[in-house]
Amino acid sequence: MHKKSVKQILCEWDSSAPTGLATRIQERRSRRDFLKMAGILSASMLIPSCDNSNTQSAADKATPSLVNQAPWQTFAAIQNHLFPKDSDSPGAGDINATLYLKSVLELPGVGDADKQFLRDGVNWTNDIAMQMTKKAFHQLSEIEKEAVLQRIATSSAGENWLSLLLLYIFEALLTDPVYGGNTNKIGWQWLEHQPGFPAPTKDKRYYNLL
Amino acid sequence: MKDYDVCIVGSGAGASPVALTLAEAGYSVVVLEKGPWFTEADFFKDELACCRRSVYTPNLKNEQHVLEEYNGQNDDGSYKWRAEASSDSGSDFWNGNCVGGSSNFMSGYFYRLKPKDFRLRSEFGEIKGANVVDWPIDYAAMEPYYTKAESVVGISGKIIPHPHQEPRSTPDFPYPPTAEHAVSGLIDKACRELNMHPLPTPRAILSKPQGERRSCEYSGFCGSYGCSSGAKGSARAALLNKAIKTGNCKIIPHAKVYQLSSDETGRVSSADYFDKDSAKKTVTAKVFVVACQAIETSRLLLSSTGSKHPNGLANNSGQVGKNLLFSAGGSGTGEFTYSQFDTQLAEAMKQRGPFVNRGLQDWYFIDDKKFGAPAKGGVIDFLFRHPNAISKANGEKWADDGKLMWGKPLKDKLKTVFSETKYLRFEVFNDWLPTDDCFVSLDNAIKDKWGSPVAKIRLGYHDHDLKVGHYLAEKSEQVLKQMNASNIRSSVSGAPPPNLVAGGCRFGNDPATSVLNADCQAHDADNLYVTDGSFMPTGGSVPYTWTIYANAFRVADIIKRRL
Repeated sequence: MHKKSVKQILCEWDSSAPTGLATRIQERRSRRDFLKMAGILSASMLIPSCDNSNTQSAADKATPSLVNQAPWQTFAAIQNHLFPKDSDSPGAGDINATLYLKSVLELPGVGDADKQFLRDGVNWTNDIAMQMTKKAFHQLSEIEKEAVLQRIATSSAGENWLSLLLLYIFEALLTDPVYGGNTNKIGWQWLEHQPGFPAPTKDKRYYNLL
Repeated sequence: MKDYDVCIVGSGAGASPVALTLAEAGYSVVVLEKGPWFTEADFFKDELACCRRSVYTPNLKNEQHVLEEYNGQNDDGSYKWRAEASSDSGSDFWNGNCVGGSSNFMSGYFYRLKPKDFRLRSEFGEIKGANVVDWPIDYAAMEPYYTKAESVVGISGKIIPHPHQEPRSTPDFPYPPTAEHAVSGLIDKACRELNMHPLPTPRAILSKPQGERRSCEYSGFCGSYGCSSGAKGSARAALLNKAIKTGNCKIIPHAKVYQLSSDETGRVSSADYFDKDSAKKTVTAKVFVVACQAIETSRLLLSSTGSKHPNGLANNSGQVGKNLLFSAGGSGTGEFTYSQFDTQLAEAMKQRGPFVNRGLQDWYFIDDKKFGAPAKGGVIDFLFRHPNAISKANGEKWADDGKLMWGKPLKDKLKTVFSETKYLRFEVFNDWLPTDDCFVSLDNAIKDKWGSPVAKIRLGYHDHDLKVGHYLAEKSEQVLKQMNASNIRSSVSGAPPPNLVAGGCRFGNDPATSVLNADCQAHDADNLYVTDGSFMPTGGSVPYTWTIYANAFRVADIIKRRL
């Protein structure tokens, strides 16, 4: 693991980004820049790679203990903070966001570089949490979590990583339940979204059509 | 002995009228389609399949483009261009690579061109920096085929007399308009108060069944989605399925044509393709038709060198790939909160399914001193924000100050956007002027997974396009204001919409300045025709598909006479 300070890590991501990075306007473009930055750090990361040939949705075979295992424990903690449960609205846990993200990383359809970037972010989030608080991210209080994520978001790279996590939370919230998120259509109900028809069937999910 | 009478490369709107016409006439036809063959049974309202994973388009790592964008000026005033591979930028220029092509995923906004569109140079004169020319045929030559497409493809609509109505040989559309949303009445009212002429938008969507195709079922998810009822007038549902039934048309999916070989006389001798297992195959035919959408058509011709075609097939004048066209213009939005309507109207406004179906053509030609000399204008269309929920949510995660949002503030915003607000959009379509800064060539470094150079696309635009776009956007905003919409905003830019593409093999009478003759036959190769949107020397200010269908029916009759 690298021994850089939070500031050094963040500076390193940002220094390789072009000035005026149009993150908010062209998300995909800035994600590309983020991937370049992630490349700088990837040698110091020790993340096991997932088996991409598995085409069974993670949600089909998930176990409840998943969110207690690395790196899912960290993903779950970040997702729950980004998309918390409320008295009148579902949170990341209610829509199976962590299992959904696991399936995204295992299934075809999302590029390998994007997948690696998603995985790598867990380690540097924990690095930054460690530098700031001497604790892993999932052990932090909500106030500490907010401070770490705010700090991450000061770099365009970190902000982009969080924005990608949000994208896959939205997918878990609003795709057809056949993909393992949006449990009992809870996301659609909350946002009063009328889905189209016909709905995708289990044997014709997008990856069956590739 | 040739394998087939006719070999068609591509299976979309430019290909399928030729396949149907010639198969019905008893000729043997083969269609080579690079992508897979989906049917109605494969199409669901699945946002992941439709729009978030590459199901209908290639993985950019395997097949991509190189895009050249404007990057400032040199000291001598010439433009600098920055080239970037689309696998790096994520800018995806594919539109639907499967049997039926991108017509499977269109919204079916269908407009004819108007007589003056065939002679813009004569009507409005030269525009400095643009290569505007008259077409070698007039509207009268195309009219019967626009009419034919109405009935064969199945176009629904209603003729309302207005100042810019083009001539028609039939009084009205063969199918009545699709069901309309409550907002259409509000648009009508506002437009009439402003002395504008709101028009029902013709759509290539069945409002009544046709043969095995069902009527529209009004799911409310149309554009970008494959149609599960068969109502959408895709090349596959409306034409190819009929062509197959003749017994004379064979469609080969997963057939990636990498070159057209030509003989010592310059005629095309074979289409050479990779099959699903990447094995090389060859097809011979009397006549070859290329219709794989403008960019890939130019790329295939440029890749197909031969002894008589050292610079690429039909490119002896260096015109292949030149004068590529997109659609200029932009779009805008206004917001309504359901609470601003009475209960009944609020419920009607929430309804999903019926079409907005309203457009304005009042400024198809601009005659306004404030604008300048009389000029070609364009079309305004009204529509709801696309119902895709994930992209809608994802677009809301940035705060007004540009920072990423999360937690309760983000969730509150989502709730408001989804359940309290209706977004009415407009789109402006105006001519993308042909210039020397918008063209297709072959990239000399990046290849596709079969080893062929990918298309490099220079994406320059003419400033006049923005001037017209802004003029029309301002008119559109007036309508939203009249409707008491809030937060009205619009954006006009020179960013090319990849799904509205034409040109690159313009037709004309002079072989020195065009690729095809008036019959869309290559000047340089007697048995080669191009029938997608590539032939268009100027684009008109409407989506291209109806004109592509009509022209392909026209050329099909020409080929039929020769066979």
